[in-house]
Amino acid sequence: MEIGEKEAVQEFEVLSFVVGDQEMAFDVDYVEIVIDIADITPVPKSKPMIKGIINLRGRIVPIIDLADVLGSYVDESQYESIVVIKYNDIEAGFMVGTVKGVLRASTNELESISSLERYGEKSRGLIKKGSRLVVYLDVTKIIDEIAGEE
Amino acid sequence: MMRDEYLSVFIDETREAIQNMNDILLKLEQDMEDMEAINELFRILHTLKGMAGTMEFNTMMTLCHRMENVLDEIRNGRMKLTEDIIDRLFKGADILEQMLNSIEEGESDELEGVDVDALIKEFEDMLEGKPVESSKEEKEESKEEASSEENEEESEEEAPIPIEITDELVHVIKEAKERGYEAYYVRVTLDEGTQLKAARMYLVFHKIEDLGGEILRTVPPVEDIEDEKFDLDVDLIVVAKQSAEELSSAIGSVTEVARVIVKPFDPEKELEKKKKEEEKKKEEAKKKEDTKKAEAHVHHKDDKKKKKITQTVRVDIEKLDTLMNLMGELVIARSRIVETLKKYNIKEVDESLAQLSRITLDLQNIVMKIRMVPIAYVFNRFPRMVRDLAKQMNKEVDFIIKGEDTELDRTFVEEIGDPLLHLLRNAIDHGIEPKEERIAKGKPPKGTIILSARHEGNNVVIEIIDDGRGIDRDKVIKKAVERGLIDEAKAMMLPDDKVFELIFLPGFSTKDEVTEVSGRGVGMDVVKNVVESLNGSVSIESQKDKGTKVTIRLPLTLAIIQALLVKVKDFVYAIPIATIDSTLKITKEDIQVVQDQEVVVIRKEVVPIIKLWEALGIPHDEEPQSMNVVIIKMGNRKYGIVVDTLIGQDDIVIKSLGKLFSDVREFSGGAVLGDGSIALILDVANLMM
Repeated sequence: MEIGEKEAVQEFEVLSFVVGDQEMAFDVDYVEIVIDIADITPVPKSKPMIKGIINLRGRIVPIIDLADVLGSYVDESQYESIVVIKYNDIEAGFMVGTVKGVLRASTNELESISSLERYGEKSRGLIKKGSRLVVYLDVTKIIDEIAGEE
Repeated sequence: MMRDEYLSVFIDETREAIQNMNDILLKLEQDMEDMEAINELFRILHTLKGMAGTMEFNTMMTLCHRMENVLDEIRNGRMKLTEDIIDRLFKGADILEQMLNSIEEGESDELEGVDVDALIKEFEDMLEGKPVESSKEEKEESKEEASSEENEEESEEEAPIPIEITDELVHVIKEAKERGYEAYYVRVTLDEGTQLKAARMYLVFHKIEDLGGEILRTVPPVEDIEDEKFDLDVDLIVVAKQSAEELSSAIGSVTEVARVIVKPFDPEKELEKKKKEEEKKKEEAKKKEDTKKAEAHVHHKDDKKKKKITQTVRVDIEKLDTLMNLMGELVIARSRIVETLKKYNIKEVDESLAQLSRITLDLQNIVMKIRMVPIAYVFNRFPRMVRDLAKQMNKEVDFIIKGEDTELDRTFVEEIGDPLLHLLRNAIDHGIEPKEERIAKGKPPKGTIILSARHEGNNVVIEIIDDGRGIDRDKVIKKAVERGLIDEAKAMMLPDDKVFELIFLPGFSTKDEVTEVSGRGVGMDVVKNVVESLNGSVSIESQKDKGTKVTIRLPLTLAIIQALLVKVKDFVYAIPIATIDSTLKITKEDIQVVQDQEVVVIRKEVVPIIKLWEALGIPHDEEPQSMNVVIIKMGNRKYGIVVDTLIGQDDIVIKSLGKLFSDVREFSGGAVLGDGSIALILDVANLMM
């Protein structure tokens, strides 16, 4: 029974947003807060995908250009919001375009598609919701990758 | 008595060490291959051994030493860690804790009723490769238990005949026996709550005499019995013609006699037994005494404890950190309120705001003070330790302390003690030569060790200088090669300072013998680890026959610091005031180039400068005509940092930039300013390199 259930459909929630022309999503479990884009203080000599830091209620939070991490380019003027996530004691904000909201999806709507290969491990697949195609990103892998790079 | 001063420090540190030991052992139980844990455990025991040694808790020291030895074998791969060994190590940790408790209660580290020697022996057996099977141990334990039970019985009936057997007594009994009498040891116990105890005992004596028996000896003496100076028990040596049973029932017939024990008494056998069990008895007697003492001290102890509690409270450093962070946020919040209200200029608010500012400031000062302690707190325990160590090793040492009022963050004070102790030990053990050798070398017969601390810019610098034999380069290389730490040809090429760095490698020691005091060079390993974990650095300078200087540099990473805020383009950066020598304005023409390095000449001193925008790679327009330079002092050297504008001095709260910026060396952190913007704090030392 239990095994059957596991193999069957599992539901999960993601926060979806637009980066460039592509809809993408993070697992809601890691999302702490979404804020409007703020003044970012650049940190010279840091990794190129890190755009700088912001003051989030007295805490210093690094801000990451999500497009840069994913190997594409989005003009900074297109960014509207910052999705702040927390994983493994690391708090970080990702610059994104419009935030669409929370999306409930299930595993049978999740497909791994070869066109996502350029994201490598950073993507867990493609969520198909009617006509919407959402790239489901793995926040943990993205953070690990940035933190691991020297 | 002198050591009382250090006792509380010792107790605190030991308690922490034992706690760590338990944690690590638990970890090891999960993963027996965890070499890091084994090494860590080894280090803890090594430190503990050293501390116990200095405090003259020898049993504790021996136990630690044996445990350490076993771990050494394990980490060298000569022995395999088994569950059995872990169990014993746990047992060892428990005993150490018991010792500590006993020490804390003002007793020694000798534990009554705990067989420390047996455990020490077990570790020794382990080292000799004797299999200490658990089954055997269990048997032994059960045997021990059984025998201890026996002991208890004996103690009630036989063993502790608390009567001194004099020659006279032996003689009298012998004579009585010749006349057909039997000698008995009689213990009479009265009912609890017996009134007129003396009268009852009188009746007992009377009964015995009625039977024709004779009382040879009583404990307590008859006089005391008459004065009722006894509890409920009286011991007698009686000679009588009756059998033990007859005697027993006769005495038992006296009312209010609760119990009678009658046993044949053979003084010669008794003497023999006594001799045999002399040791045991001594222990037992002591045990009894101690229990009594303990009981008697219950009240006393409580008093003592109460006193201690009012003096100091140990606070988890994490709580202090949290307090500091909250404090920081409060400071920021206050600044923001002040900024906002400035726009409206409301008079009524001004007053309460001023008060808020005052309170915040006071609070901040207090929190700062809580964290800052003079290094004397660590240094003070050293003179005695050095003296004792020197004595132990037959060396004569003058120990000089300088700069003990240098203040530093509490975290450092708590961490730096052990490494310093290791270094001092090394200086005494390996550095200072024996008197004769010193005289032969034409040195003063007494060695000198200087321990000093001072602030140097953004660092606290601690130095340990000895005028001993210095570090023998060749010996270091030889040992390192022997231990397979380095290749010989390569080692020969190394400059001195690189050679000395080899000493910091784990498992290195130049002393051929392993001494109880400075051991196997794990000390230096520990020193480096601790200092680096505090973001500090340690270096050695040494000259043969001149001496050795070990320098420890610790950063002053306090949560709140004073900083000079400067601006480059629109970005604000903070430079810690502690690193700043002065500021000045220069013009473009003041900058000269010497060997590809831009310099300015200030009061005949040539000071290299860097332009902050260049160092940080910030796009910047052509150089302005006049520029602001912040002169930084690092050690004896000065550097200039060129910035656009100087904003002013401010208290800032250092916040870590987090793991994602671990590769950025130019900044030591960030600070949220009053207007909510962020200033990056320049790590001046790294910036200059």
